[in-house]
Amino acid sequence: MRRRQLMALVRKDLRLELRTRETIVAMVLFAIVMLVILQFGFGTRDDDLTRFVGGLMWVTLAFTAVLGVGRSYVAEREQHVLDGLLASPVPRTVMLGAKAIAIFLYMTAVEVVVIPLVGVFFVKGSYWDAIGWIAIAALLANACIALSGTLFSGLALFTRARDLILPVLFLPALVPVVVAGAGATHAVVGGSPDMSEWRGYCLFLLAYAILFALVSIATYDAVFDD
Amino acid sequence: MTDGPARVPGQRAAAIWGVLATVLVVVSSIGVFLVAPEDADQGIIQRIFYFHVAIAIASLVAFAVACVAGILQLRTRDERWDDVGEASIRIGLLFSVLVVITGSIWAKASWGTWWVWTDPRLVTYLIVVLIYAAYFVLRSSVEDDRRMRYSAIYAIAGFASVPLSFYSVRVAESFVHPVVFTSSGANMPGSMLWWFVVSQAAMICLFVALLELDLLGRRSERALRRLAMRLESA
Repeated sequence: MRRRQLMALVRKDLRLELRTRETIVAMVLFAIVMLVILQFGFGTRDDDLTRFVGGLMWVTLAFTAVLGVGRSYVAEREQHVLDGLLASPVPRTVMLGAKAIAIFLYMTAVEVVVIPLVGVFFVKGSYWDAIGWIAIAALLANACIALSGTLFSGLALFTRARDLILPVLFLPALVPVVVAGAGATHAVVGGSPDMSEWRGYCLFLLAYAILFALVSIATYDAVFDD
Repeated sequence: MTDGPARVPGQRAAAIWGVLATVLVVVSSIGVFLVAPEDADQGIIQRIFYFHVAIAIASLVAFAVACVAGILQLRTRDERWDDVGEASIRIGLLFSVLVVITGSIWAKASWGTWWVWTDPRLVTYLIVVLIYAAYFVLRSSVEDDRRMRYSAIYAIAGFASVPLSFYSVRVAESFVHPVVFTSSGANMPGSMLWWFVVSQAAMICLFVALLELDLLGRRSERALRRLAMRLESA
C-alpha cells in the first residue's frame, strides 16, 4: 500500500516535470552559468584547474541543489496540491520519501551534464578514468541533499520570505556534503587516485544520509501538523 | 487578605545558579591567571585555552539541551520547552561566537594569523555559528504554534549537523590545532587539568544561570501581561 502511494507521488512529480520541464532545465542552465562564472571568478587564464575541480563542481552542485529544492514544493503550494495530500490518508513519511526521490532524480539529471562538463572545461589531465568514482560519490551526496533538502524545504514552505529562508537554512547544513563531495573528487582526479581517502568520504556521505533520514522521519510529521 | 510581593516561579533557582556561576567564574579567573603553571611552549597565550575549550564544551551542552527541549516540545506541545530551546540556542550561539573569537586570538598568537582554514575546530565552530544563526531567521519568519514546531525541528536537525560538521572538516584537513583530550586521557599536567575542570564547571554553571535568568524573564513577562489583562478587564 505504502509503496503504491510512494510510487504514485513520485510519478506525480516526474510527470509534472516532464510536462513543464521547468525545474530540471532551469537547474542545468543555472549550473552551467555557475561553472562559467566560477571560471571567470578565479581570474586565471590557466586552462587546467585540476587543483580546484572538486570545489568548482561541488559549489556549483550545492547552489543548484538550493534552486531545485526550492522549486520542489511549488506545485504543492501554488496549485493547492498540498491541501489534498494532507487531507488524504497518505502517511507523512511517504510524502517525505516521494519528495526526496524526486529531488534525488533532479540532482542526478543535473550531474549527468555537470560532471562531464567539469572535465571538459577545467581538467586537462586524467579525469575520465575517475568519472565512475565521482558518480558514486555524487549519488551518495544526492541522497544527503534529497533528505536534508526535503526537510528544510518543508520548513521554509510556510515562512515569510521563503525564497530567502531556504538557502539560509539549507546551505550551512550542506557544508559537510560539499567538503566530502569535493574531497572524494580530489581523491580520484589528477592521476594517482587515493581510494582509501575516497572511501572515507563516501562512508561519511552515507553516514550523513542515514542521520538525516532518521531526523527527517522522526520530525516530518510535525512539519505539516496543522 | 494581604498579598506579599508577587513571586515568579524559578526566582530562587535563578539566584542560586547566578551566585554559583559568579563565584566559580571569579575563582577560575584567579586560578587561571595567577595560580595555574605557564605553558613552556606557548607562554601566557596558552591561558586562553581554559576559557576557549570550556566555552566550546558549554556551547555543545547548550545545543544538546535545545535538541532535547525540541524533542520534548514536539511530544508535549508545551510552550515552556520552546522557551528552553530558544534560550539554550541563544546562549549556545553567544558561546560559539566567543569560541571563534578566542580561537582566532589564539591563532594570531600561535601561528601569526587571525584565521587558519587548516584548523578544523575553528572552521567547524564557524559552521556551527552559521547553522544556529539561521535558527533565529527561521523563528522570525513564522508565527505561534508553527514557530514552536519549526524551531523544535530545526533545533533537532541543527544538532544532527554539528557532529557532521566536526567530522567532515576533520576528514578534510590536517591537524594544526593543539589536541588537548586524546583517547588516552588529558594531554596536560595535573595542576592545569584541575584549573581546566574549575573553568569548565564555571562555564556550565554560567550557561545554567543565564538559562534560568532568561526563563525567569519570560515568565515575568507573561505574569505581567496576565496582570495587565486582569486590570483592563476589572
